[in-house]
Amino acid sequence: MADISPQGTGSDKMRNDGGIGAMKKIQLKEIAYARSGDKGDVSDIGLMAKDDKAYRIIKEKVTAEKVKDHFRNIVKGDVVRYDMDTLNSLEFVMYKALGGGATRTLAMDQTGKAFGPNLLRMEIEVED
Amino acid sequence: MKKIRLGCGSASWGDMLDPAVELVEKGEIDYLGFDHLAELTMSILQRMKNKDPKRGYIPDFIPWMEAILPKAKQKGIRMCTNAGGANPEQAAKDVLLLAKKLGLSGLKVGVVTGDDVFHRLEEFRKRGVKLPNLDTGEEDIDSIYDRIVAAHVYIGSESIVEALSKGAELVITGRASDNAMYVGPMVYELGWKMDDWEKMGTAVTVGHIIECSAGCAGGMSNFWKEIKEPWRVAFPIAEMYQDGRAIITKADGSGRMVTEWTVKEHLVYEIHDPKKYLMPDATADFSKIRVREVAKDRVEVTGIGGTKRPDNLKLTIGYKDGWIGESEISVCWPDAYEKAKFCEEFLRGRFKARNLSIEDVRFDYIGINSIHGPLSKMPENRQDINEVRVRVAAKTKTKEDANQVRREVTHLWTHGPVGTTAVISPPPPREVIGLWPTLVPRELVPTKCEMMEV
Repeated sequence: MADISPQGTGSDKMRNDGGIGAMKKIQLKEIAYARSGDKGDVSDIGLMAKDDKAYRIIKEKVTAEKVKDHFRNIVKGDVVRYDMDTLNSLEFVMYKALGGGATRTLAMDQTGKAFGPNLLRMEIEVED
Repeated sequence: MKKIRLGCGSASWGDMLDPAVELVEKGEIDYLGFDHLAELTMSILQRMKNKDPKRGYIPDFIPWMEAILPKAKQKGIRMCTNAGGANPEQAAKDVLLLAKKLGLSGLKVGVVTGDDVFHRLEEFRKRGVKLPNLDTGEEDIDSIYDRIVAAHVYIGSESIVEALSKGAELVITGRASDNAMYVGPMVYELGWKMDDWEKMGTAVTVGHIIECSAGCAGGMSNFWKEIKEPWRVAFPIAEMYQDGRAIITKADGSGRMVTEWTVKEHLVYEIHDPKKYLMPDATADFSKIRVREVAKDRVEVTGIGGTKRPDNLKLTIGYKDGWIGESEISVCWPDAYEKAKFCEEFLRGRFKARNLSIEDVRFDYIGINSIHGPLSKMPENRQDINEVRVRVAAKTKTKEDANQVRREVTHLWTHGPVGTTAVISPPPPREVIGLWPTLVPRELVPTKCEMMEV
């Protein structure tokens, strides 16, 4: 991933507000694992941070709104997040996510098994 | 402190047999549980039963029992399975014939029924049970009522416990929850009260961890690169202690791994709200769960909580909902991507010209975007794409139109761009079974167990 230059708007704001160092963009796959599956038309993604620091980052950055936006062309319903602090993990429950469910969807990934890896594409900004 | 060892022998219809046999031979287990049912499976089995009243259970059940039953009986391993599907009584009759043939005299089989409510829906409605669709919010089941093919309630472990207490060596159920295959033996052996919600939450959660066979032992894993001999699949064992502590492990010398990560992977899988994991036997709470690797391939799980079981049980109703026709064909370099576009345009035009009753259609370019859809990243140099497999799937009102969808794809072989090839015999049109998940008050769905003996 290309670093965002220190002159970029996002990092400038951070620097002015909190005196934090330069920011860079990373993909979630660098700091987390994921597994996903289905129940009817609902798909769940479990996002597991690789360590404590990564968990603090995903807890702050990977909001339900951000996940809903990430899957905006796939998931038609709400996205709800549940935090699992003792497992350093977040659970995302996505409604109307599977084209009516495994038995009637036209999609090849009938059960949302690839939604987890897909979430790991998401880019977030972290301190460099 | 008393403990029992429970092995998982199957996660679905069509799972692997030899890891289950390995557990019986080398796992030093007391119980072996099998889950064979998915949401769609019940409707498929119900329709098998409608065609032939002697079918409707998982067809693998008898050959599997032939491979496992003699060794299990000899070692005193008791088994719980939901392979009974839509016809547990017949599954029991047939396994008794098998046991007789194998010379296993005295084998005790318990059959659990009560989950099949297809003939009771009208009664529920008369009692004022509304049966709204939990996924869509639709309240009016009249829209599908004359198309219903199956209706099964997810039941808990009460009648499994009863069967075990009556000496059953094999318990066969219909749509009991996956984890009931393990909750039943834990309750029976460890003397847990079925209203001790913390223990029941623990039983449900530990059942959840192992019920998906290799799901907690390197299957579907982010850690697949660490697997040295991928073909050596191992199924898990839960060592359950009376105080509620559990160790997740596997048979000594078996393949793959059980690690803190592989257990965590399954704990976050298909659970919805971790504080309220709703199951027929309890509402499990694993918001404070602790997972710790205590030795190689031994992972300790503690800190599970639970609250009262739900007052309503989940009822899944399957109904006929049209047809799907699908097929695939390959295009090649040069201009593979553009050729795929041409094929899509050809097919869309053909479907329109033929006036097919298409309600929904989807095109996938396999190798480009078939799995991650609109989030797929396009290859940077389109000219370098070696090949694309074009796949179309269409939902139609009739079987004839679904069949025509696949025939039109075959026409691309001779009427498409140069090099269009790799025509396969497409899958036959499949009838869509829509699922209508709803709730029914627990007290309306009593279960019972019947004992049979060779």
